[in-house]
Amino acid sequence: MTSMSGNLLNEHPIHPPKPGLKSSLLRYLAYGLGAALLVWSYNGAEIAPATLIRDAGNMATFAADFFPPDFTDWKFYFTELMVTLHIAIWGTVLAIVCAVPLSLLAASNIAPVWLYQPVRRVLDALRSINEMVFAMLFVVAVGLGPFAGALALWLHTTGTLAKLFSEAVEAIDPQPVDGIRATGANAVEEILYGVIPQVMPLWVSYSLYRFEANVRSASVVGMVGAGGIGVVLWEVIRGFRFDQTCAVMIMIILLVSVVDIISARIRAALI
Amino acid sequence: MSTAIEITHLSKTFGTGKRALDDVTLRIRPGEMVALIGASGSGKSTLLRHIAGLIPSDRDQRAQVAVNGRMVQQQGRIGRGIRETRAGIGFVFQQFNLVGRMRVLTNVMAGDLGRMPLWRSLLGLFTDEQRRAGVRALARVGIAQCAFQRASTLSGGQQQRAAIARALVQGAQVILADEPIASLDPESSRRVMATLADINRSDNVTVVVSLHQVDFALKYCRRVVALRDGRVMFDGAAEQVSADMLRGIYGNNSDLDLGSLLGPQADEDLRPVAAARFALA
Repeated sequence: MTSMSGNLLNEHPIHPPKPGLKSSLLRYLAYGLGAALLVWSYNGAEIAPATLIRDAGNMATFAADFFPPDFTDWKFYFTELMVTLHIAIWGTVLAIVCAVPLSLLAASNIAPVWLYQPVRRVLDALRSINEMVFAMLFVVAVGLGPFAGALALWLHTTGTLAKLFSEAVEAIDPQPVDGIRATGANAVEEILYGVIPQVMPLWVSYSLYRFEANVRSASVVGMVGAGGIGVVLWEVIRGFRFDQTCAVMIMIILLVSVVDIISARIRAALI
Repeated sequence: MSTAIEITHLSKTFGTGKRALDDVTLRIRPGEMVALIGASGSGKSTLLRHIAGLIPSDRDQRAQVAVNGRMVQQQGRIGRGIRETRAGIGFVFQQFNLVGRMRVLTNVMAGDLGRMPLWRSLLGLFTDEQRRAGVRALARVGIAQCAFQRASTLSGGQQQRAAIARALVQGAQVILADEPIASLDPESSRRVMATLADINRSDNVTVVVSLHQVDFALKYCRRVVALRDGRVMFDGAAEQVSADMLRGIYGNNSDLDLGSLLGPQADEDLRPVAAARFALA
């Protein structure tokens, strides 16, 4: 049997089709466009690798200022770091609570078109405005402090999570939902018993990813006065205390790593 | 009430222009067990989905489906109280349509959703009585030991029996089964069909089951309805099914061993042929 098919293959060799002229031309055109894009933006971004080499001495002095890191105020840094963590927790939890209903309203297999299109545009708006911008606005509205940071994270994260959640909802298997519908259940019960159990693992995973990202973002929103370690970071940089800056940065890295490790564990356990 | 399912002049044309059902009129009495046979695309699934009110028919003046004396759809419009009507109709799907990540027992208790107050179903607060009913239904189909597993961990045959248990919890007077054994091995198929036949016999539940395997249809169902191109071509007792009729339904060049379906004798004769064919493959 095998030898026979082998002979057949030798007698009738297979010629895989070659890409046509049109498709290869299109490919080169795409490469060309990509290169043109890089050249066009080179001057605008003032890319100057030579400066890095020319001012290497300055860079070395600057880098040397960071060491050894100064941990004398580590207790204060730690308190502020915890505030950052609290901002991230509340920003994320509020966002999850809002993203669940919004994502269902933005899913084309759940909501009618006149509903999910406007909801999606609102989510686009929430996502396209950076949390830093929201933070500056909330600092004006509710004053300096962590609350402004939590609100900023809440709005931006709601936009991101609701979009991710709704994509998970659109990818579900419709058959179990049919099964629930056929028992005489109403629309809310269909979602609760047919949709949510299917998307739960993805939703949990997305939420944990966003929480990790929010711990990082929370340290940045502080720089515009929205509380937490960002405020400290901004002050030590402005005071040219680079040894303290280094200490703060090391502590941020530690916090982010710990959060990453823990949330990876949770994800692995849940899925 | 002398009819469990009453279908009159039901037609369905899909958006593609394909006529899936063509003026189907059918009356099924309470307690009957009816097999729906026909080639792929003959309209078996479409008909069952119309009976459950999952899809509306064409807007024919005379088109009408009633189950248990309740209007399911009329002139292409789904009836107003469809959810209450559906609660009395158990639907068993080819792909089981259980929620894989939920426990088997929760899947089964979901059969009661149409009847329980919304606040309870929203909070997932099933009563002890519901739990007992769920376990009883699972014991009835022989998989009570799986109650607390995730549905996705069950074998295909077990999942299908869980789906039947869901219909039992529903307290359905009519069970519609759409190719319930098409994705199962022969032994699981036998058990699923035996379970359906038992429910039909002991609880006097009307069962309409669409089947690919004519031998199963003839073995478990007293009445056979055959569809071709959306039209009822045969409607009668299982004993009246003839090889000629089957050829008319499935076409002459079908792979079906028509002879083997009509009696064990023919089966014996064809066995060497089947064995030879297997060796060639």
